[in-house]
Amino acid sequence: MVLLIQDEYPEKLWRDDGKRLDGREPYDLRPIKMEVDVIKNADGSAYIEWGNNKIFASVYGPREVHPHHLAKPDRGILRVFYRMATFSVFDRKRPAPGRREKEISMVIGDCLEPVLFLELYPGTSFEIFIEVVDADGGTRCASTTVAALALADAGVPMRSLVTSCAVGKIDGKLVTDLSGVEDKAGEADLPVSITWFNDELSLLQFDGQISQPELEECLDMAKDALDKVYNLQLDALKRKYIKIQEEAEEMGGATD
Amino acid sequence: MMDIKRVISTIEKSYIENNLKKEKRIDGRGLWEYRDFNIKTDIIAAAEGSSDMSLGDTRILTGIKYDIGEPYPDMPDEGVCTIMAELLPLASPLFERGPPDQQSIELARVVDRGIRHANCIQTKRLCIKENEAVYIVFVDMYVINHGGNMIDCGGIGSLAALISAHIPEGKWTEDGPEWTGEYLTGKDIISDLPLPITFGKIGDSVFLDPNLPEQLVSEGRLTISVTEGNITSIQKSGVTTFTPEEIKMLSKKAFDIAKDLRSSLDLWQYTTKIE
Amino acid sequence: MENDDESETDDEFEDEETSREIVAPGEILSEDLDTYNPGRGTILNKKRDKIISVLVGLKQIKNQYINVIPLNGFYTAHPGDKVIAIVVDKNPVKYRCDINAKYQGILKPKNTIKYNKKRRRGKYHEKPDTEKYEIGNVLVAKIISADRLNSPELTTVGKYLGKKTDGIIIQIDPPKVPRVIGRSGSMIKMLKKATNCNIFVTQNGRIWIKGQDIENERLAIEAIYKIEAQAHTTGLTDRMEEFIKNEKEKRGIN
Repeated sequence: MVLLIQDEYPEKLWRDDGKRLDGREPYDLRPIKMEVDVIKNADGSAYIEWGNNKIFASVYGPREVHPHHLAKPDRGILRVFYRMATFSVFDRKRPAPGRREKEISMVIGDCLEPVLFLELYPGTSFEIFIEVVDADGGTRCASTTVAALALADAGVPMRSLVTSCAVGKIDGKLVTDLSGVEDKAGEADLPVSITWFNDELSLLQFDGQISQPELEECLDMAKDALDKVYNLQLDALKRKYIKIQEEAEEMGGATD
Repeated sequence: MMDIKRVISTIEKSYIENNLKKEKRIDGRGLWEYRDFNIKTDIIAAAEGSSDMSLGDTRILTGIKYDIGEPYPDMPDEGVCTIMAELLPLASPLFERGPPDQQSIELARVVDRGIRHANCIQTKRLCIKENEAVYIVFVDMYVINHGGNMIDCGGIGSLAALISAHIPEGKWTEDGPEWTGEYLTGKDIISDLPLPITFGKIGDSVFLDPNLPEQLVSEGRLTISVTEGNITSIQKSGVTTFTPEEIKMLSKKAFDIAKDLRSSLDLWQYTTKIE
Repeated sequence: MENDDESETDDEFEDEETSREIVAPGEILSEDLDTYNPGRGTILNKKRDKIISVLVGLKQIKNQYINVIPLNGFYTAHPGDKVIAIVVDKNPVKYRCDINAKYQGILKPKNTIKYNKKRRRGKYHEKPDTEKYEIGNVLVAKIISADRLNSPELTTVGKYLGKKTDGIIIQIDPPKVPRVIGRSGSMIKMLKKATNCNIFVTQNGRIWIKGQDIENERLAIEAIYKIEAQAHTTGLTDRMEEFIKNEKEKRGIN
């Protein structure tokens, strides 16, 4: 695309005052907002704003499998469809899904499957549709996080939620939650997901160059970040009901 | 109100039809009333313009992107606007994955025709150098929830997104197009506002803005796009037929309804101001 | 029309043992396995020393069992359930019906035969009357058999079962059905009286409503959606009665 303003990578990723370009400290997360039950037609749904990322997720299931030959006789199947809108990126993306989207769909699916009880739903499918409408670094982490919420919102039994976040290295220093420009211009990007029921990592990818001690430190930083994001997920799931309880109490309902 | 995950049932059909005969609708509206509109613009950081538009339960996100390319040979000094729509499977169990199907193409084309024949897109302003470089403006609609009447929601959402757009302004130099440092906004890009007004028909009853159950039960729709002075496009879809009297009546109604809608929505307020 | 089963339903939401505490999947409900056992909506963790929720719901402690009452979910067919089914396909050997479950329900013609017993001159004449259904028909059916692997089987032979020819149906979240019925049918009796509508609630979350006019029907529908949203709150029956009374005044309905 011929664009008049170019998507340039800044020379330095650290400001003179020691903070990151968007004003954050090394371990700070970007502002995150989550909401469930945003798409009425879906069995379950959620929406997340993570920095500039804006992502919707919808869950449909359990339902019959189309095409039929993909159905498994002894368990249900999970299918994830991660897609990005044309206008979600600086350089307009072609509407059709590309290889990156298909790879991320698979990675997110692998990451969520361990918490589901698919053996209870033979011959059926659970489908998760993820649409990134605004992207700015860490979309696969935000997508996994919002997809887990949508599953819980649908009433699909889960061993636990799944939370995801990325850590990495920019201009020599380790940081939590890379923004788009940090992801592109930095030296290392490590997205991780955790399935809380066994405290194990279900997504782990790495791009860049770091030393082994740095990797260990990254994993510790990730755990802290994941705890924080997890609490936001719990809040989003419960807030919907707590808000209604509070409104009901105001109207004088809480007597028994 | 009703679950749209499956075939619409005979009693729902007769319920809607019988009540329409008494001029009553399942959501309590009058025959010529719109559901509530809700518009937010310029909400997508990566896009050069955007709108998040709800009409009742129908919600559509529209984004504006641009490219610079060579003009069409028969329109050497005019920019181009191309409109696309995706009915996302996340928006409804009725939508399937895959390339745009009939419904999404119809949505894109009906919105496109309404805009094309109005003096809407300022195509001459969207030219950087005749025969060399013009803007291609992409208007991409993504349906997030399907609650009926995606045409009016998407069409008006597209107008709001275009009004909110802030496209870098280019000038022609020997090395090609370069940024002037300024932006094209609001009336640089879009002038007249053709509003699509969609009517449904069930039995002999005609009504404005079908919600989803009404849309599934009705066998046809009529969309009339109007600017302040003119009709810019008409589209009848489905197997229903309309009498010439009905069409005359609806075309008059479309102007009245559009007039009220224009003032209540006040779309120009969404023009982006660049400091 | 009365739904006989109403008085037998257990409304978990109104139970004393159901707390107002909302829990989410993966949250620890108890580590005291000497006192408590994992009940509905819960599992034991890997080390078998904690009881964990698998759903978003209300925590309930009943008879040494910790249960989670789900706040959202989908319908799973069980034999004996009454459901509202919509015929989506038919062929000479069976009807296929949408019952808002993962599989469509199957209705065989033999399960649609109604016997009309007429006593004439001291003898019973049984006259089999096979109901014929069309695609789109709304049926009140009962589940005869259902398991994890196969499509559930339905029947329309029985009291209150059969085709509906008028009224309207709406869909709510299946876990909320007990709340719409209420303990000993208290909620639904109130709704019927206050809106003067016939209301029939079935296990798959579908509800059939018929009133004297659309205004009353609409009010009943709005009240039911409110109950669905507020199922986890207290004082709901009284609040809904207030709501209906106020709205009737505001809208000028009687």
